[in-house]
Amino acid sequence: MAIDGLIILDPAGRPIIQSSYTTYPAAYPLLHIEALNNALAKAPREGSVDPVIYVGELSCSSACCHVEVGEMRFIATISGDADPLIAFAFLHAFIEILHDYFGTVSVATLKDNFDIVYQLLEETLDSSGHPLTTSPNALSDIVLSPSLISKLLASVSPATPGVPSARQGGYGAFASPIPWRKAGVRHNHNEILFDVVEEMRGIVGKNGTTLVSNVFGKIESNAKLSGTPDLTLTFTNANVMTECAFHPCVRLQKWTRDNALSFVPPEGRFVLADYQYRPPQSAVISNVPIPLSLKANMDMGEFGGTFALTLTSRLIKVMENLELKFYLGEDATSAQCTLSSAGSSVGSVGSADGSWAFDMRTKTLRWEILNMRSSGSWILRGSWTSKIKAPRPAHAFQIRFEIPSYSFSSLKVDQLRLSSETYKMYKGVRMRSKGSIEWRW
Amino acid sequence: MSTQQGQDAKFFQRGKIEEFRAELQAAEAKDKKYQKRKIVLKKIVANITMGNDMSPLFHDVIQCISTPLLEIKKMVYLFLVSYGRSKPDQIHLVIPSFLQDCNDRNPLIRALAIRTMSYIPIPVVTEALSDQLRHCLKDRDPYVRKTAAICVAKVYTADPRKAERKGFVELLRDMLIDENATVVANAVAALSEIGDRQDGVIFKLNLTIANRLLAALGESSEWGQIYILDSLLRYVPEQHADAEMMAERVIVQLQHANSAVVLTSIKALLYLMNYMDNRRLIEYICKKMGPPLVTLLSSGPEVQYVALRNILLIIQRRPTVLKNDVKAFFCKYNDPIYVKLAKLEIMYRLAREENAREVLAELEEYASEVDVDFVRKAVRSIGRLAIKVEPAADKCIESLLKLIDTKVTYVVQEAVIVTKDIFRRYPGKYEGIIPSLCENLDALDEPEAKAAMVWILGQFADKIDNADELLDDLVYSFLDEPAEVQLALLTAVVKLFIYRSQSEATKALVHKVLKWATEDIDNPDLRDRGFMYWRMLAMNPAVAAEIVLAEKPAITTDSDRMDRGALDQLLLHTGSLGSIYHKNPETFIRNAAGRALIDSPALNANSRAVLVTLARPQLPQMAISVSGPGPVEPARPSQPGEAPSNLPLPTIMESSLSDERDLLDVEGDDGAGGDSGEGYPDGDDDGPVTKAADPYASLGGAFGGYVTDVPQPVAGGGSRGGDLDDLLF
Repeated sequence: MAIDGLIILDPAGRPIIQSSYTTYPAAYPLLHIEALNNALAKAPREGSVDPVIYVGELSCSSACCHVEVGEMRFIATISGDADPLIAFAFLHAFIEILHDYFGTVSVATLKDNFDIVYQLLEETLDSSGHPLTTSPNALSDIVLSPSLISKLLASVSPATPGVPSARQGGYGAFASPIPWRKAGVRHNHNEILFDVVEEMRGIVGKNGTTLVSNVFGKIESNAKLSGTPDLTLTFTNANVMTECAFHPCVRLQKWTRDNALSFVPPEGRFVLADYQYRPPQSAVISNVPIPLSLKANMDMGEFGGTFALTLTSRLIKVMENLELKFYLGEDATSAQCTLSSAGSSVGSVGSADGSWAFDMRTKTLRWEILNMRSSGSWILRGSWTSKIKAPRPAHAFQIRFEIPSYSFSSLKVDQLRLSSETYKMYKGVRMRSKGSIEWRW
Repeated sequence: MSTQQGQDAKFFQRGKIEEFRAELQAAEAKDKKYQKRKIVLKKIVANITMGNDMSPLFHDVIQCISTPLLEIKKMVYLFLVSYGRSKPDQIHLVIPSFLQDCNDRNPLIRALAIRTMSYIPIPVVTEALSDQLRHCLKDRDPYVRKTAAICVAKVYTADPRKAERKGFVELLRDMLIDENATVVANAVAALSEIGDRQDGVIFKLNLTIANRLLAALGESSEWGQIYILDSLLRYVPEQHADAEMMAERVIVQLQHANSAVVLTSIKALLYLMNYMDNRRLIEYICKKMGPPLVTLLSSGPEVQYVALRNILLIIQRRPTVLKNDVKAFFCKYNDPIYVKLAKLEIMYRLAREENAREVLAELEEYASEVDVDFVRKAVRSIGRLAIKVEPAADKCIESLLKLIDTKVTYVVQEAVIVTKDIFRRYPGKYEGIIPSLCENLDALDEPEAKAAMVWILGQFADKIDNADELLDDLVYSFLDEPAEVQLALLTAVVKLFIYRSQSEATKALVHKVLKWATEDIDNPDLRDRGFMYWRMLAMNPAVAAEIVLAEKPAITTDSDRMDRGALDQLLLHTGSLGSIYHKNPETFIRNAAGRALIDSPALNANSRAVLVTLARPQLPQMAISVSGPGPVEPARPSQPGEAPSNLPLPTIMESSLSDERDLLDVEGDDGAGGDSGEGYPDGDDDGPVTKAADPYASLGGAFGGYVTDVPQPVAGGGSRGGDLDDLLF
């Protein structure tokens, strides 16, 4: 007993596609859809519905695990003592596959390609609930992607209708000793690109001290390499990476022994490794310094309040797409703000780099700064009004930012060696950082 | 409304079906590259996916099955998967095509054929399939073999005894040493599915096979790794060294990117630790498990939720795991509420003297948030923190007083409720804050809070000068109060009278309440209590005082931990629904097989002391034991006491079933089904030996609620291993 099936709901909560549920009563998928729709309708605010909803009716107690994708919802129904985490891992894998096949995942693309989606469902999920093949490399041999089908139709000459089309792709995936890579890949131009993305998550307390700040890194790769390339990736400072989690292709023993990533990559995009950055001086408490600071002067009044927020960058690099969100409370009615900036970095001053908006629906004030240069200050002053006498705004600001070509850990690739193949390949590494900080007041 | 709709849909379909039929017939002529047929079939499949009944087209669609185009074949097979089982009288028409496809040159088609056949549980099909399956299990192509392995589980479901007679289980077992890792993983999955059935053969691993499976881990897909890691729970180590060696190989998997792999590895480790003796190694493993669990918290909220519910269980059993990581559980303002509540509970569990300050500061922060549920839980947690960590109690009380000052009603009410428990935990220490509580008497409108306040007034009536006036006011609405408050008022008034028996006003008050309770109230509890108090006071006021004001046992939060044996058992379900709801799956899921630790020479004394035995003894030595044909065939349906319902009833089945299973087991299992707890005297006084009876009785409120633990009286001697080390094993 495990995942019984998968249902995809449109934004209105109606099923678009569902797996066959042959061994279940017809009402079974409907009950789960209903349970989810009911829960969503009852939810006081967005994102407050438990991700695992227990469905006790119909004597076969089961549960409905759901995730939101765009405006759609993907449901995996599980029964028996199944593992919801497997259901979620499967849902994520399946959504990844859909992205791989169709580029975007939307109601329209799914409806246009329902036959492929259905085949993918059959191929990835066995009727007794075992996830089967979810590696995109292997799947592409069994279920042709829409672009491939049209290509095939164009190329197959009318004289040979008898040839089963699957032979074209070669079903080598399962004959290949490596489950994530198919045999016999050929490229004219061989290349592999690495994107190191580091994300800082932190909480800053009322008094401005950092309570928690962690940096989680991800090495995303895109490989287009021929044959069976055996790669070894080394770093000059591998010790900044701790708590690593790797793609199954990475030889774990090698990493434990000499901190080198040795692997035969899958084709296309994949996440090679996740890690956490620990600053070298980390003895016990290891907070990574937060690259900006916020000074908030808050003045709560009756039926509203005023505020003055000053943001300062502590970084040499330029921060981009900085966004600060402030929830003003359920009863907030309006907000008025003025923007200004100050500091040493002369240049375009004023509202040119910043903007603010108040969203009535979410009752959230949003302040955006597209380009935040080093050592300047940006100031947002304003006031808001509320229907109730003692307004209850959030006691925290949510700040997000991006820093291109920067990494908190200064992780550096030493070299990438290719053995077992003789061709030359193009290699590239890019760094990128982002952050999401909760700043309390 | 719905019937109306249903009829409309029917009309719609009937028209459609005729249309498709005509199109299919038309397509037979001049169909270049089968394009026309492909398009019609695509439309039909589209209708199936939308839930429309296309079964009337059965005859027309199966005509296309021999089309030599794989895409068309696939669609016909999809059609058969949906409607094959509903056409027992026509299915024989397809069998020749099935057989032909089972021997096709293309392995994809061979696999497709057997898979589709396994979805159609009609005798003619299963009959044909079982012959083909035997070949496919030994097919040269791994894709066919791995598909065949899963098909065996289906054949088994259709008729277990027949599948056993045909030797499929042995064939499956042989696949455990297949050269292809995907095939191995699928064989494990199929065997596990069979083993999880209540009427299935027992699937157990011996050391050699377990090691081979571990060796296949590296080459398996992530799902394969999950099956393999999960199957390790079917291996019972006979020696500490075996468990230790295996754990070392599992630890490596904690570095996997798939969250389900990580959690399954942790489940395997938690299981293996029961069979270890080396304290340092156990400590090492606990340390290794922490970071991957924290990493799960950087995933989406859904994964976080599952992870958090599991962490809550794990740290109750192995408190060292995340001992120093309380910060990882600090709530963010925009975490979904279900994540926040789960984190809050974990923060409370991880709170110790060393981190109490940080935790309290966070809790205070949460108490000022917007979400009412969350604020309440935060306030309550402050009180529980005071009860749990004595050195932090002063600070917690201070903070509660500040919260009471805010006059936000629900905050005040929660604060009053926890304060009552704090008074009981630290008698004579904090009564000074009673006046501040009394100021907010009017704000209390919830029964629990009101009852708590009334209890405080009665208990400390000697210290509160105007207790009589306050109680007199409260009694005014006695008849309209909920029973909870009425009971509290009755007791409080009696206590007041005992303290101030001289006062005429008090005498009148108690008389009035007793009269109400015994004459005007329908609630039998209240009446009985009223009568008892009345008699006691009438017969001998001195004795009554002794009884009513008897010293209350102090409370602690030690007992809010789950029963050790039950925990061990729940942890075997790490990651599963049971671990989310903190209940054993067989108690709320139909047909779920229970799990329990199996005794073996390697099982460490601490785990054995709390061993919970289960109806179905699982997997000792042999790799797989298959019952041959003969008289010892299990005849479960005839079990007395089991017939009326499908629910597994562990206690009833226990004796009868285990005997029977012993016969099946070639090497016999020495009493794993019996009450093995008895053979081993309870070495230390760390918790009582749990009998098989009902270890979950204490979990009643766990379902859905986040706070399972209301403080309870200290049990007996009180030396319930409160500190971390006792739980290390």
